[in-house]
Amino acid sequence: MSETKQTPEAPKKDHGVLYIGMDLGTSRTSVSASNGVRETVYSMVGYPKDVVSMKLLKKDVLFGKEALDKRLSLKLYKPLEKGVLKYTGDAAKDAEAKANLKAAQDLIGEAIRLARPRKDELIYCVIGAPAEASVKNREAIIEAARAHVDSVMLCSEPFSVAYGLDWLEDVLVIDIGAGTTDLCRMHGTMPEETDQVMFDIAGDAVDEELARRIAETCPGAQFTIHMVKEIKERYGFVGDPSERCIVELPVDGKPTPFDLTEQIRGACAILIDPILKGIHKLIASFDPQFQTKLKNRVLLAGGGSMVKGLDTAVEKAMKERLGGGKVIRIEEPVYGGANGALKIAHDMPADFWEQLK
Amino acid sequence: MSVAGFKETLKDAVRQMSFRTSLDNLKKQGVQQVNVLGIDRIIALIEAAVHRSLKSRLVGVEREAVADATKAEFLRLLRTNEDLQRQKTEIERQKELVEEEVDQLRRDLSAQQRALELKLEEGALAMATRYEGENAAIAAKVRDVLRALAATGGASIVDAEERVMALVMDIVTVERQSADEARKALHDREVGTLQRRIKKLNESLDQTEKRLQTVAAMKSLDGGISSIYREVQGVDPADTQAGKKKELMAEIFKANLRLQKKA
Repeated sequence: MSETKQTPEAPKKDHGVLYIGMDLGTSRTSVSASNGVRETVYSMVGYPKDVVSMKLLKKDVLFGKEALDKRLSLKLYKPLEKGVLKYTGDAAKDAEAKANLKAAQDLIGEAIRLARPRKDELIYCVIGAPAEASVKNREAIIEAARAHVDSVMLCSEPFSVAYGLDWLEDVLVIDIGAGTTDLCRMHGTMPEETDQVMFDIAGDAVDEELARRIAETCPGAQFTIHMVKEIKERYGFVGDPSERCIVELPVDGKPTPFDLTEQIRGACAILIDPILKGIHKLIASFDPQFQTKLKNRVLLAGGGSMVKGLDTAVEKAMKERLGGGKVIRIEEPVYGGANGALKIAHDMPADFWEQLK
Repeated sequence: MSVAGFKETLKDAVRQMSFRTSLDNLKKQGVQQVNVLGIDRIIALIEAAVHRSLKSRLVGVEREAVADATKAEFLRLLRTNEDLQRQKTEIERQKELVEEEVDQLRRDLSAQQRALELKLEEGALAMATRYEGENAAIAAKVRDVLRALAATGGASIVDAEERVMALVMDIVTVERQSADEARKALHDREVGTLQRRIKKLNESLDQTEKRLQTVAAMKSLDGGISSIYREVQGVDPADTQAGKKKELMAEIFKANLRLQKKA
């Protein structure tokens, strides 16, 4: 909010400072705020298809789970894809791009609203954006956030995860999102392009693989990609299963139990190989004196890190290919990025915030 | 307020600010293990932290003053929260009242519209019946006159009939016009009254619906939750990595300045 917006009607912002850390993800958007609020919402935005559905839903726009549940009455948007906004910068010409941009803006607004800010407090927000986001993308995120906060900054997502844990030196962060997996090596300074590796084998790719395996092995089973995602989130594992994954799927309208243990294990395992390649690349190109230390400080973060046994599996693969290593899964995969962004917001000096108002 | 009383208030506040969730929900959010900390322990920790902080930074009277001021501020915040709760309840009550009012107005409007329709139908039917009766009576009278003329002889019957009919119809037309005007005036008054009532009810309904929207909007207004910070913070100078963190903050800022000044 610029000073020009301080009209007589605007509340005086003299109560305090609310810091918000946001992790804008392909699948989920999470916020952590300095008033203790922590919320997460599926990165989905729905608008009523017609007047009838608008009258029924009594809302102009729905978000997250609510949008997903009412999707038959809505035009549903997932404004982020492979970690970046589905916005090419030519929204004026492309109606779909324009709609996605609006959905992204509404989603950011909703995420800030979820943090429950007071009107009389300054709001300073740091958004964890994908390392590979284009300048146009970053500008669009900034513009969307500016409408709701006093000052906003972007930072690289894996960096914010490491910063949140105070691991600033000789640590390798693996942030497994829905759209992309980002690997970032930290060595006490801001990571550069050569310190980062990104690929699109992540949560969504696992969902697609699991859907393919179910279609191949469970004749007649009916399912949507949303159902597959829920199955993965509940049972996802690699290595040895702690229990059989018995899932009911409709066959010709009748709920039928299927044992999906092998399908889930196989689908989740597609994450391991590219992660290992990324680790290998970042470790091999690091200062040889610190390579061992880096190998022993691998952080697993993001929603994808919730796959059971993934830390052990990566560790095992590192032992085979790199001669050893230690993988630590962060305690709160969903909020790791948002918590880190919140800490950055907290540590940012006042004059920096002022200059970006 | 006594120390014990303050502890209870603090305990209530912690309870109010906490939220309930299930283990399944926590698992979905990626939490595999939780550390359990009792509320008494949390209160003791808060107290200990506050005391330690005060002890390390302040002395004697100043410490007492800060402690008192902090307690007062805490109680003020609690009272603000209670006021907001009361306001919310009042708004909800107002909303229910207005909703009842809207329902009643809708019912009244519907009853008045039905009454008007009935009145219009009755009016049309009564008028048609009355005209038929009057016409028959006139025709009978004319026939009587003609028969009387025929009985007397002289003038041609056709001529006589035409004359009598013209005469009678003139009279009847005049009478009918005046009667129609009287009836129409009466009818118009009734319809006018009903239409005015309907208009008034419609206006009232509009106003009440607007009030309902306002109340509904007020209900959804969220006062928000206060941040724990009154001022901008920055890197803690006591942090062992303070220097490094300041450098990193400066780099993030520079990158954002480039991006946003360009945007």
